[in-house]
Amino acid sequence: MVTAFQNTQVLLLAAVLLAACAAKLTVRERAADAPDHVHGVPVPAGLARLTAVRRSRGMTVGLGLGEGVLGLALLMTSHLSVRLATTVAFAAATWVVGELRVHRPDAGCGCFGGLSGKRVGRRSVLRALLFTAAGVASLSAPLTGVDVLRDVQVQVGLVFAVEVALLAALSPELAELLERRRMPADPPCERRRSPMAETYATLYESEAWAAHENAIASAVPLDVWREGCWRFVAFAARVDGRDAEIVFAVSTAERDRTVRAGSVQPDSVRAGGVRAAIPGDAALDPC
Amino acid sequence: MPSPSREARRRRRAAVFEASSASPSRAEARPPLRAVSGMVLDASPHLLVLAAGGTEVRLVMTGDTRVWHGGRGGLAALRPGRPVIVRRSGRGVAERVWVGIARVSGTVLACGRDTVEVDMGPHRGRARVVIPPHALGPVLVRHPRLEPGYLIDVICVESPDGPRAVRPGTSQPGYRADDLAAPEATAPVPGVLHGTATWFGDAGGEAPDGAAYPAVDSEGAAGGCADAPSGCVPFPYLSLGSEITVHNECGGRTAAVPVVECGCLAARFCDRCVECGASPRGRIVELTPVAFAALGGDLEAGCFNASVHADLPVEEPW
Repeated sequence: MVTAFQNTQVLLLAAVLLAACAAKLTVRERAADAPDHVHGVPVPAGLARLTAVRRSRGMTVGLGLGEGVLGLALLMTSHLSVRLATTVAFAAATWVVGELRVHRPDAGCGCFGGLSGKRVGRRSVLRALLFTAAGVASLSAPLTGVDVLRDVQVQVGLVFAVEVALLAALSPELAELLERRRMPADPPCERRRSPMAETYATLYESEAWAAHENAIASAVPLDVWREGCWRFVAFAARVDGRDAEIVFAVSTAERDRTVRAGSVQPDSVRAGGVRAAIPGDAALDPC
Repeated sequence: MPSPSREARRRRRAAVFEASSASPSRAEARPPLRAVSGMVLDASPHLLVLAAGGTEVRLVMTGDTRVWHGGRGGLAALRPGRPVIVRRSGRGVAERVWVGIARVSGTVLACGRDTVEVDMGPHRGRARVVIPPHALGPVLVRHPRLEPGYLIDVICVESPDGPRAVRPGTSQPGYRADDLAAPEATAPVPGVLHGTATWFGDAGGEAPDGAAYPAVDSEGAAGGCADAPSGCVPFPYLSLGSEITVHNECGGRTAAVPVVECGCLAARFCDRCVECGASPRGRIVELTPVAFAALGGDLEAGCFNASVHADLPVEEPW
C-alpha cells in the first residue's frame, strides 16, 4: 500500500509538472494583471522590478521548460537525483509562493502561466506545500511514471483521483480556465453604447416603421433619448387627419434588436392649442 | 431639435411602455423633508424671510435652528443678500440653515501657495479655491496628492475672493483623474446601484432640483457628453429628464428626482462614503443642494451612503 502511494506521487508530480509546463508555454499572462499601483499607492520599485523579471516571457518559458524536463524525467527514470531535484523545486516554489502572498499577492503566482493571475492566497501556499510533501514521499518510490502507467493498480487509481480532486479544490486556476473557455458574453443592453446610425438602421428595417411610415409628417425627429435598453425616437405625424406623435422604442441590444411603436397626442392638442404649464417641466439644456 | 421636456418624454414613453418599473419597496423608507434655496431678505431671532423662486418665503426660526456659515454660525450670518439653503422640519420651521455653502470638486489644474485651480467638468467650468491655513491641514489629510492631475473635493463657503475651503468633502481617490478602472464591458447592470451620493453646486445655484447622473447617453438629445468616463459602477444609460429614485441609507429617506445634468465628473470619482458604515465604491449620483438636504443629507458632511434605482421601461409581451 505504501509503495502504491509512493508510486502515485511520482505520477502526480509528473502530471502537474507537465501541465504547468504546457500552461506556461501556451497561456500568456495579461499585461494588466500586475498593476503598478495598489489602491492608488505605487508598488515599491524593488518589488515592481522583481515582479517584472518574474513575469517576463523569457523567465516564464525557462521555468516552463525546466518543469517539462523534470516531468518527463520523472516519467522516464527512477533515479534519485530527479526525485530530489523535483522535491527541492517544489520546496523552493513553496517558499516563493509564501513570500508572494506576503509581499505581492495581487500579482498572482504565475504557477500555471496566465491562468494563475488571481490573488495569491493560503490555498496556493498549501497546494505548493502538499506538492513538496508528495515530492518527499516519492523519493523512495521504486517505479518510474511510465511503469506506473503501464500497470495501473486500483489503489494507485483511487489515491491519484483523491489527490487530483484535493489539488483541484486548492487551485484557483480552474475557475480562470472555465472563464476563458466560456463564450464572451454580450455587453448588457442597458450600458451598451449604441450609435444613432445603428438605431436608425434598426428602425428603418423594422415592421413597426413600415406600419407607421406613411403617417410620419417629418423625417426630422421631435426628440431622441435613451432609457436603459431602449432608445426612443419621436416623430410628428398625421393620423386620421389629426396631428399626432409616433414614438418608436428601438432596442440597444447587441443582437436581435426589436422595435416597438406607439402614438400619442401632441401637447398642443392635449392642452387645447396652448402648451400646458407643468410644474417641474422645465426645458432641459443638453450639455 | 427643440429642447426636450421631462413631461413630454414621460408621456411619449407611456405610449410605448404602459407599465413602469416600480422602485423596490422599502418598508422603512421615509418621505423626503422639504428644503428651499433662496436669498436672505430679512432675518430675526424668530423669522427668516427669503426670496426663493420669485416668491417670498417666511420661515420660523427657533432655538433649535442650526445655522452653518463656514462652521457653526449665528443669526449674524443671515445677512440680507446672502444665498442660503434651508431644510424645514415641518410647519415652516427652519431646522438647518446653510449660508453661502458651496462645493468645489474636480481635477486639480494648478496649485499655488494657498489656492488651487480646479477643473469642475464640462458643465461647471473652473474654480479657484482659496485654502486658508486653518483648513489646509484637514484638506491635506484627506487629499494627500494635492497636485495637478489628481481629484479634489472640498466644501467651501462663498467669500468676496471666491470659494474658500472649509473642510474636505470626501477622501481623495488614490488614482489620477484619467486613470479610472472601469468595470468590464460585460458586467451586468444591477437593479439597484449602491454607492455614495454627494451634492454639487452652491447655495445660489440656478440648476433645477434634481440629480447629475454619471451615465447620460451622448446620442441624440439625451444630453450626455461624448467623452465622459463610464464610471466605476455598471450604470444603465439614462437621459436628461429620466427619473431615478434615491434612497439615503443613513437617514432612511427616499425621493424620486429627475436627472438634470450629466454627471461626467461624478463618474471620475470611485470613492466611498463613510457616513454610516463604508459604502461600496462609486459616486452613483450627485444631487442639487436642495435635493440633498431634503433627503436628510448634511451639506457640510458632503455625502451619504445611497442606493439608486433607475425608472427603466419594463419590457412586457405585446
